[in-house]
Amino acid sequence: MIKKISIVLQHIFLMLLSILSIFPVIWMVIAATNKSVNVTRGTLTPGNYLFENIKALLDSDLLYLNAFKNSFTIALITTVLAMLVSSAAGYAFVIYRSKVRDMVFNIILLSMMIPFAALLVPLFRLFGKFNNIGILKYISINTLASVVIIGVATAFLIFFFRQNTRSFPKELVEAARIDGLGEFRIFLSIFMPTNKAVYAAAIVVTFMTSWNSYLWPLITLQSADKRTLPLVIAAMGSSYTPDYGMIMTAVFLATLPTALIFFLMQKQFVAGMTGSVKG
Amino acid sequence: MRIKKLIVFLLAGITILSLAACSDTGDNNNSSDKITIWAWDESFNIKAVNKAAEVYAEINPDVEVEVVTMAQNDIVAMLNISLSSGAYDGLPDIVLIEDYRVQGYLTAYQNDFSVMTDIASADDFAEYKTGVNVIDGKMYGIPFDSGVAAVFYRLDLVEETGYAQADMEDLTWDKYIEIGKAIKEKTGTDLLTLDPSEIGQIRMMLQSAGAWYTDEDGNADIADNQALKDAITTYKKLIDAGIVKKVSDWNQFVGAFNSGEAASVPTGCWISPSVTSADDQSGKWAVAPFPRMAENPDSINATSFGGSGWYVLKNVGNEEVAKDFLKETFASNVDLMNQLVEEINLVSTLTAAGEAENYSKGVEFYGGQEIFKDFAAWTEEVTPVNYGKDTYYIEDMMTEAVQRILNGADMDKTLSDCQTQVEAAVAKGGRKSK
Amino acid sequence: MNKKKVMESFNRQAWIFIIPSMLLIISFVFYPMIQAFITSFQTGTGTNLSVNGIDNYKRLLTDTTFRKALFNTLLYLFVQVPIMIILALVISSMLNNKKLKFKGFYRTAIFLPCVTSLVAYSIIFKSLFAADGFVNAILMKVHLISEPISWITDPVWAKILIIVAITWRWVGYNMVFYLSGLQSVDDAVYEAADIDGASAFRKFKSITLPMLRPIIIFTTINSTIGTLQLFDESKNITGGGPANATITISHYIYNLLFKYSPDFGYAAAVSYVIVIMIVVLSFIQMKAGDKND
Repeated sequence: MIKKISIVLQHIFLMLLSILSIFPVIWMVIAATNKSVNVTRGTLTPGNYLFENIKALLDSDLLYLNAFKNSFTIALITTVLAMLVSSAAGYAFVIYRSKVRDMVFNIILLSMMIPFAALLVPLFRLFGKFNNIGILKYISINTLASVVIIGVATAFLIFFFRQNTRSFPKELVEAARIDGLGEFRIFLSIFMPTNKAVYAAAIVVTFMTSWNSYLWPLITLQSADKRTLPLVIAAMGSSYTPDYGMIMTAVFLATLPTALIFFLMQKQFVAGMTGSVKG
Repeated sequence: MRIKKLIVFLLAGITILSLAACSDTGDNNNSSDKITIWAWDESFNIKAVNKAAEVYAEINPDVEVEVVTMAQNDIVAMLNISLSSGAYDGLPDIVLIEDYRVQGYLTAYQNDFSVMTDIASADDFAEYKTGVNVIDGKMYGIPFDSGVAAVFYRLDLVEETGYAQADMEDLTWDKYIEIGKAIKEKTGTDLLTLDPSEIGQIRMMLQSAGAWYTDEDGNADIADNQALKDAITTYKKLIDAGIVKKVSDWNQFVGAFNSGEAASVPTGCWISPSVTSADDQSGKWAVAPFPRMAENPDSINATSFGGSGWYVLKNVGNEEVAKDFLKETFASNVDLMNQLVEEINLVSTLTAAGEAENYSKGVEFYGGQEIFKDFAAWTEEVTPVNYGKDTYYIEDMMTEAVQRILNGADMDKTLSDCQTQVEAAVAKGGRKSK
Repeated sequence: MNKKKVMESFNRQAWIFIIPSMLLIISFVFYPMIQAFITSFQTGTGTNLSVNGIDNYKRLLTDTTFRKALFNTLLYLFVQVPIMIILALVISSMLNNKKLKFKGFYRTAIFLPCVTSLVAYSIIFKSLFAADGFVNAILMKVHLISEPISWITDPVWAKILIIVAITWRWVGYNMVFYLSGLQSVDDAVYEAADIDGASAFRKFKSITLPMLRPIIIFTTINSTIGTLQLFDESKNITGGGPANATITISHYIYNLLFKYSPDFGYAAAVSYVIVIMIVVLSFIQMKAGDKND
C-alpha cells in the first residue's frame, strides 16, 4: 500500500517537474511559428508563419546554414577527440595512482578555477603567434581547429572520468594483464566498453558545451564564413527591430542537434542495464 | 566490438584530416580588391551598407565588398581585443561604431583610425556629430545615422482625452506628464515604458541641455551637475505620476507599444520600424519633438539617442580603397540617402540629404506626417556633446544611484558618492577635445 | 627484478595517457593564467600598459559594484547549489527504478532545458516572468499571489528568478551524471535490501548515496565552480540588473573587458579574486569528500 502511494507521489512529482521543464521549450516552438509582432505580444497559440521565418532566415545575409555546419563540425570533432584524450587521462590517474600523478591531478583541477573570460585576451595573443610557427599555423587564430583544441582536454572531463574510474573494478584490469593484454588494449577494449553509460554522459555534455560555446569562438573566428551558430544568433538579436519570429526559429533549429545526440545516447543511461559491471 | 573500435579510430582520423583541410591560415586581407565591413542589425545598418556596396560597385567594379553582420557587443569585444593586441589580421577595414563608444577607441587607439579630412568635412554633417568624432580639428569618421529623438505617440489616445496634436508640440516634461495622467485616467493606458536597468531617458535629457556625465575635459561631472539633477528629478516625476509601465528588456519594450499598453515612445527615431510593425495601429500615431526640461534654461526640444558612424581602421591594409568607398557613399551620396530613407527609414546626418525628395514624403502610418523632414530638421538642432570614453561604465554605476534616489535616498549625497566611485573607476581622464 | 621493470613500464605508459592532456592544459590554461596574473598588476588601456603594483587590488576594496557582484555570486552558490544537487539526486534515484513507467519521458523532459540554447532560454524566461507574463497569470489564477510579482525589475525577486533559472537549466545536467553513475551499482544489492525489507529511503541512504559518493563530490565541486563563474544567466536574463542587483563576478569581468573602455589589468585582478575563492572552497570540499577513500 505504502509502495503504491509512494509510486503515485513519485509520478506526480516527476510529472510536475517535466511540465515545468518542457513548457518553456514548447513556448519556444510556438514562437518560432509566429510573426515577430505576435511574439512580442506574447501569444501562446501556434501561428502559421514557420515557413516564412525559415525562409527569411535562409535568405538573410547571416550565413545561418554555414554557421550550423561550422558548429557541427567543431562539436563533433571536439567530442571525439575529448573522449580519447581526456578519458585516458582520467583513467590513468586512478589506475596508475602515484603521489606525483595525484599532485599533477590536483594542479589540473586548478585550471577549472579561473573564469574563462579572464583567459581570452592572453589566449588570443598566444594563438596569434601561431601563425608564424610552422605546423602550429593550422590552429592559429581564425581556424575551426583553434576552437576544437581548446575543448579537447578539460579539467572538467578529466575529473569526471577519474571519479567514475574509482567505481571501476580494478580486478578486471588485473585479469586482463594476466591474459597478456597491453595497457592501451586494456583501456580501449576493457575500460571503454564497460563504461558506456559514462561515455554516453560525457559525449552528450561535451557536444552540448562545444555547441553552445560563445566567448572563445567570438574572439578567434573572425571571418564571416567561419563563425558558429551562437555568434550568428547573437547577431540577430542585436537589432533596433529584431525579428523575433525569425530568431526563435533560428534558435529552435539550433537546439535540434544536441537534442538528437541526447536521444541517441540516452539508451545508455537506462536503468537496469546489468552487464555494465561484468562487461 | 572490434568494429566499434575501428569506427572510432576512423572517425578520429577523418576528423583530424578534415580539420587540417578546412582550416585556413587566416584570410589574406591585403589584396587591394577587397574590403571588409562590420556592422550590426541586419534590418537597418546592414541593409544600408549593402545598398552602398551596390552603388559603389557601379563606380568601382573591381572592388569586392564583404559585409559581416555581428552583434554590436561582439564588434566592441573584437575591436578591444584585437586593437589592444596590435593584431590587425582579423579586423575589418571599415567598422560601424556607436557614437557613445567612439571617444573610447579614439583615446586608446588614435593611431589606428584614419583621418577623414581629405574626403569629407565636418560641416557636411549635422553639427552635433562633431562632438563625437573630431579631435584637434580633425574628423576621424563618417557620421552615419541620426539618433535624433522624438516622442512617438498615439494621437488617437491623446485626442480622446481632449488634448490636441498642437498640445504635443513644444512639450515640456511637465506638460507631457500632465497629458499622460489624463490618458491614464481616461483610457487606462500608461504613457511610456521605463526599464530600471537602462536610463536612456536621462541620457537624452542631459543632451537636451548640452550636458553629460563628464565635462569638457573628461572628468566626472556628477555631484554638481545641475542638468543631471534636473533629469533625475524629472525621471522621478514620471514614475511618481503612476503613468509608467516597467519593462526589463527590448522585447517587452517593443511589445508594450505594439500591443497598446504604452501610449508613447520617447526615444531615437530608429524606433520607427518597430512602431510601424503593428499594422493594425496604422493612422493612429504621430511624432512630436522631444520634451525639454522647463526648469533648466539650457534644455531645448532636441536631443539624440544612439546613432553611429563609419570608421576606417588604417592598419588593416586597405585604407585608400576603404576611404574611397565611404567618400562615394555615406560621405556624399545624397541619392543613396534618398533611397535609404524610404527603404529602411534611415535618417542621415548628411545635411544635404535632408533636401532629398523622399524626406518630404508623408507617411501614412503617422497620418501623413512628413516625419523624415521633421527628423532631419530636428537633427540640425541637437546640441553637440562629447560623450567621453566611459559612458557605459558610468551609466552602469548611475543606474544604481538613480534607483537609490528613487527609493528615497538624498540626491546630493548619492550623487556625491557616485562621483567618488566614478572617479576611481575612470581614473585616466584624458578625453580629447575639439 | 621483473616486478621493478613492470612497474617502470607501467609508469611510462601511465604518463603517455596523461601527457597529451597535460600539454594542452598547460599551454592553454596555465600559460594564459600566468599572463593574466601579470596583467593584474598593470593598468592602462590597450597597448599602453604600465605596472602599478597592487593598485588594482586596492581598488577592489572600494568598488561597490564588485561588492554587489560578490554578494550575488555567493548568494547563488549557497542557496542554489544544494537545492539543485538534492533535486537531481532525488530525481535520478527515482528514475533508476526499473519498474517505473514513463521513465524515458521524464528523463528527456527534465534534460530538455539543458539542450535549449542560451538565447532561447533567456528570451523565454524574460517573457514568461514579465510582470504581465504567463507565470504571474497562473500564480494569480490559483490565488497564490494577489498582485503580479515584478520578477525582473525588483532587486529581490530578480535574484530569486536567477536561482530558479539556473536550477531549471542545470538539474537535468546533474541528473545525467547521477544516472550514469548509478549504472555501476549492481541490482543485486538493491534486491538483497528489498528482501531485508528496507524502505526506499533506507535504500537511498545506505546504498545509493555511498555508491555515488565520487560522483556527488564531482557534481558538487563542478556546480560550485560553475556557479562561482556564473555568467550566462546574469548577462542574458536580467542583464545583471535591475541596476546591478543580480550581476555576477564573471559578468562584471566581462563588462570590464568588453563593454567598457577596456581595463585589462583591473579585470584580471577581479578574476584572481574568484580564483582564490574557488581554490579555497574546492579544497575544503575535496578534503571533506576524500576522507573515507
